Amino acid sequence: MGHHVTSKDIPAAGEHLDRSKVGGIMRICLIITVLGTVASFAFLLIDTTPEGEEATALAPWQGSFAYSWLWAMFYFLTIAMGGCFWTVLHNVSNSGWGTSVRRTMENVGFVFPFMIVFAIPLLFPQVQQWLYEWMTAHKAAVVSAGGEMGVKDALHHTGDPHDHLLLKKFFYLNQGFWSVRFFLFFGVLGLTIWLQRKWSIAQDTDPKPTTARLFKQRWHASWGILAVALTVTFTGIDWVMGLDYKWFSTMFGVYVFAGSALNSMAVIILVTIILRRNGYLKNVVGPEHDHIMGKLCFAFTIFWAYVSFSQYFLIWYANITEETSYFLLRNTGNWNVVSIGLVALHFFAPFLMLLRSDVKKSNKFMIFMASYLLVLHMVDVYHMVIPERGPSVTSVLSHGHEVKLWLDIPAAWLMDIVAFVVIGSGFLFLLLRNITSASLYPNRDPRILESANLHN
Amino acid sequence: MSTTVKRVYGYLAEFESASALYKAAEKVRDAGFQKWDCFTPYPVHGLDHAMGVKRSILPYFVFFGGLTGFLTAITLAYTTQVVIYPTVVQAKPANIFTVPAFFPIMFELTVLFSGFTTLFGLLALCQLPRLNHPLFASKQFHRVTDDGFFIAVEARDPKFSAESTKSFLDEIGGGNIELVEDDNK
Repeated sequence: MGHHVTSKDIPAAGEHLDRSKVGGIMRICLIITVLGTVASFAFLLIDTTPEGEEATALAPWQGSFAYSWLWAMFYFLTIAMGGCFWTVLHNVSNSGWGTSVRRTMENVGFVFPFMIVFAIPLLFPQVQQWLYEWMTAHKAAVVSAGGEMGVKDALHHTGDPHDHLLLKKFFYLNQGFWSVRFFLFFGVLGLTIWLQRKWSIAQDTDPKPTTARLFKQRWHASWGILAVALTVTFTGIDWVMGLDYKWFSTMFGVYVFAGSALNSMAVIILVTIILRRNGYLKNVVGPEHDHIMGKLCFAFTIFWAYVSFSQYFLIWYANITEETSYFLLRNTGNWNVVSIGLVALHFFAPFLMLLRSDVKKSNKFMIFMASYLLVLHMVDVYHMVIPERGPSVTSVLSHGHEVKLWLDIPAAWLMDIVAFVVIGSGFLFLLLRNITSASLYPNRDPRILESANLHN
Repeated sequence: MSTTVKRVYGYLAEFESASALYKAAEKVRDAGFQKWDCFTPYPVHGLDHAMGVKRSILPYFVFFGGLTGFLTAITLAYTTQVVIYPTVVQAKPANIFTVPAFFPIMFELTVLFSGFTTLFGLLALCQLPRLNHPLFASKQFHRVTDDGFFIAVEARDPKFSAESTKSFLDEIGGGNIELVEDDNK
């Protein structure tokens, strides 16, 4: 940049990243993710706990892998949902600063609808039995009531106090509504981001670009922002908070959102910096954009700390049995090291590192910072999902028998890596596909010059 | 005829537009003047850069203000809740491990003290409030809140000279150049 950008600096056809330049990476990612996903699905869908028989030797491995899969899937899902959030927020708030990076936001967000592929295993009882205890409890209640009653009536009759809790939560936690929500998440937010990106791309080649699409996108973003909020909140509640049906936290949705917005911004920063290092986007994105995006990272680092502390604080103060179970598991033993580590490394370290304004404009530093945040988000989601693994898999395997708590699940960390690489390759493939399928910035957007000449 | 000697404040020059002022400001900056300022009816983006204004010292004040607030909060909460009058609520310990309960106080006081330091530090650095400004003596300067863009070079600037500064302002496109004298006798 350096000089005042005028329409002469914006190529009429926009800038494109040719697919052949990243074809090698895309092909490798596609191969890994297709083979890995097929193999994982095959493994996850084996019936390892046949009716009336002993669980097979594969059962603990499968149970363990179900958690690995959920962790990796939810990690990349939060980043994709964050991409949707930034796109929709940019449009609904009538922003001008980020028009030149808006396409990158759309590209990260548009990974979301495809994530349904990786979420599919959650719909199968072979996986659900490991993850969602309440679904098992529903089935058990029906069996114990003689198989004649519906789930709700059966829960009423078992006399187990936990089942009473499930009865009270039945309006929300029931298999039918849960599955409907699964498709609603991907359907509604998928539609939102698809429409936003479609209109945005249509503008790129319009010979008479007007403000019409801008206003249309803004109007549709007004309900889109609601779709983002509900999806982020309820995917967190359904898939992660639901791991322990007794537990509830009113802050959990916001907690997921904070990590989601922060880390998709980290991905957006990485993408825009890497593209510029390879000679793209140079006319329209500069240090001023880096500064704003760095500030957003800084803000959301604080917001994450604010929300995660609030969640801890409310539960710590009230000291109610149903609420404390989450922290009893995570603030004892080795998990406490992770909990304390998150406070120090997910908040204090990035807070202090991002405090100065000049470092936010340094591309080298922000590459490090964004990667660092993404690694810490991995730990954060791990800390949400994985502590449930030991107790849950053990209790499923030993139902009816003496409970041997803390079963050692062999090589569980190895399966974490497998799930992460498989879904991560899929994410990278989809992201590169989105980046190469359209102009790298909205070159005919009415606000592109305003954004290119940004001064904050 | 008054025999009182008036103190010269400096030269005031008017510019046609914000962009003319912006370009002129870069030239005044490059000429090496120190005691001068721009006056506009509305904020002009990037003008501080064109003027070569250095980063404010205010953030350092605010840091120490915030630190004071933080330490005040710890002292206040710890002394009252642990040392003087330990209160057991919900079986929580009355010692340093009650620290989560102190966090809101630490946060609030840090923010409050930082806010106060920002406000009062800003006022002090801008030397506000003040009752008058020498430039108010100029009739044309009244338009600064309407449609006037001005640059004033003060006489206390080491590079100031009655003739060359005037011709310099003329050169960079200033109009209605006026020698402003302090009203106070």
